[in-house]
Amino acid sequence: MQAIKVDESFYKVKEVRRLTDETFSLRLPKSRFRFHAGQHISLGIQGDYQSREYSIYSGENDEHLEVLVKEVKEGYFSPKLSHLKPGDWVEVNGPFGKFRIDEKKIKDHKFVFIASGTGIAPFRSMVRTYPELDYQLIHGVRYGHEAYDKEEYAPERHVLCTTGDKTGQVNGRLTKYLKKATFDKNTQFYLCGNSNMIFDALELLKNKGFDRDQIHCEVYF
Amino acid sequence: MSTIKKKVAFKTLGCRLNQYETDALVSDFDQAGYEVVDFKDAADVVVVNTCTVTNQSDQKSRNIISQAARNNQGSLVVVTGCMANNYKEKLEGQDKITYVVDNERKASIRQLVDAHFQGEILHPSNLEGDVFQFSTVDKSLHTRSSIKIQDGCDNFCTFCIIPKVRGRAVSRPLPEIVENVKNTLANGFKELVITGVNIGRYEWEDKRFEDVLEAILDVPGDFRVRISSLEPDGFGNRFYDLFKHPKLAPHLHLCLQSGSDKVLLRMRRMYAYSRFAEIVDRFRSQWPDFNFTTDLIVGFPGETEVDFQESIEAIRRFQFSHVHAFKYSVRKGTRAERMEDQVSEPVKTARSAELREASEQMREAYLKRFIGRVQTVLVEKIDSKGFASGYGEHYVPVRFKAKNCQKNTFQKVRIERLEGEGDNLELLGQLVED
Ligand SMILES: Cc1cc2nc3c(=O)[nH]c(=O)nc-3n(C[C@H](O)[C@H](O)[C@H](O)COP(=O)(O)OP(=O)(O)OC[C@H]3O[C@@H](n4cnc5c(N)ncnc54)[C@H](O)[C@@H]3O)c2cc1C
Ligand code: SF4
Repeated sequence: MQAIKVDESFYKVKEVRRLTDETFSLRLPKSRFRFHAGQHISLGIQGDYQSREYSIYSGENDEHLEVLVKEVKEGYFSPKLSHLKPGDWVEVNGPFGKFRIDEKKIKDHKFVFIASGTGIAPFRSMVRTYPELDYQLIHGVRYGHEAYDKEEYAPERHVLCTTGDKTGQVNGRLTKYLKKATFDKNTQFYLCGNSNMIFDALELLKNKGFDRDQIHCEVYF
Repeated sequence: MSTIKKKVAFKTLGCRLNQYETDALVSDFDQAGYEVVDFKDAADVVVVNTCTVTNQSDQKSRNIISQAARNNQGSLVVVTGCMANNYKEKLEGQDKITYVVDNERKASIRQLVDAHFQGEILHPSNLEGDVFQFSTVDKSLHTRSSIKIQDGCDNFCTFCIIPKVRGRAVSRPLPEIVENVKNTLANGFKELVITGVNIGRYEWEDKRFEDVLEAILDVPGDFRVRISSLEPDGFGNRFYDLFKHPKLAPHLHLCLQSGSDKVLLRMRRMYAYSRFAEIVDRFRSQWPDFNFTTDLIVGFPGETEVDFQESIEAIRRFQFSHVHAFKYSVRKGTRAERMEDQVSEPVKTARSAELREASEQMREAYLKRFIGRVQTVLVEKIDSKGFASGYGEHYVPVRFKAKNCQKNTFQKVRIERLEGEGDNLELLGQLVED
């Protein structure tokens, strides 16, 4: 008889890393936690009945379990997360999801990661987990300072698209870049962030002749 | 236990999985010497298996719990099911409820009740937690029995509360499933329905859904297999090939939810309309009458008239023989609850009516195809006028003059005409004499 797995557990916040005025990362001890890069967890705060999903921002072999959170001003949960301090408890459920790299494809495929805002989170995890990955990261944000942990990506692999200032390589939405870009036939595409961006990017990729099976999506909202 | 049999009554709300779990509990109590009585009758124990998928189901569950307590003052009231998971503390605080048992421990309710009558008050959290512990059903009210192969889901579709109440996906070990199938067949069942929350995601050791299906089909015996409800994930060649097996019914309930790719993305459904079409087309190219039924949500936040028309178009394009349409209702605790652009109630109502009309037209057209043809019907009921009814292998409802045939047998019936209207359409036929 298989016993049900109890996967609820509490973790103490170790560090809160402020990345911009609105965005921060939470670092939790990772010790027992196993996951695949790209997966997400569900986070709860002690004493609060609500929970939200967050992609894992750290690599599989990193010392911490880390998530990247943007505080949504009118939101319920993210403002609460932003008040957490080291030593506070959070409840972690998971890992969940199939938004993962097929390891067999790493050797002979190119990977294109397309993210809006905090949708970059699973890609940092993938890049940190698989150093040999032949990837390109296309990140759409409003302002240049939202290129979270930009220095961790090789400059030639990182395309920043900014709509609110001119600091990105591309001034405008990431779809502007996608329209002109060319990609290898055997590319694996990973799209993550808000559904409008994903919808537009999917259309562009389909029009370029890529098959839906090559395109993987993770919708945040 | 004393010589006077204790009476137990059950009430089930919600999905097929819940029905299956109640059936298994009925068997368990029956075998342990309890008398199973109707929910309307007085009982010593009342078990309410709740559902919380929509706000209406919450309300219905609450009403049933109150009714159970009112009709059986002083009896044991056990509340289980998804509501027990979602509102555990609230329910535990109510005097009229004796025990609140979460889904994980549901299979141990009989032990809890036994202990209670022996003067031992257990806290449900001390019960063994195993979602697959249910014994084989032998006294079900049906001729078909469900085989539970999987529980939980972690897709987090934005309208769905299940990942929060049923927990992450767990799969039942294949040898246990085969054992369960053999026992169920030994108990006389002729149709097995493969059930779970998201069965396509079955994963146990290196076994996947196709392996389970194949193992079940390979069990000897005179029975057929139906797949309950499936997500349109990418199926491999093997999946299609399995339908060549004579025991596997040519019917799939494939959940589309919306015909608009934009809406599908906001629902966090990870397939596109074109993928769904590929699946249907591939089946129909091989089996033109393959039966597809589906779920569609009407009035999801942000659904425009254009999006909605794409759902209507999908009904026609895929010729669903049945559409389980849900008018979207804000479900507390889901992501869609917090979405902007909620669709107004009058618009949702009007769209539901239009959708119903389209789906009834397709149902009629689909059923008509069977006139003049033969279906193998599993007899579920024979009425006082001697008419037998049941479903053909395509999951079409058939009625015919019984002529010495028994309940729970397969009968070949030539279809002659279609009767009734709307949801009550039924094919009428004649027994094919050997
Ligand atoms: C699988 C999955 C993974 C996710 N991973 C992350 C992650 O890594 N980092 C993260 O910050 N969020 C992530 N989210 C979103 C997150 O779960 C919350 O929705 C978000 O933190 C806002 O919560 P809230 O209660 O404050 O507001 P909510 O009531 O949940 O949202 C209110 C509104 O805020 C907007 N919104 C939601 N999330 C964001 C966001 N990330 N950026 C900008 N606007 C947003 C939407 O318009 C939404 O309707 C993920 C969601 C899913 C489904
Ligand atoms: S697949 Fe989606 S709708 Fe089905 S149980 Fe999982 S979350 Fe709910």
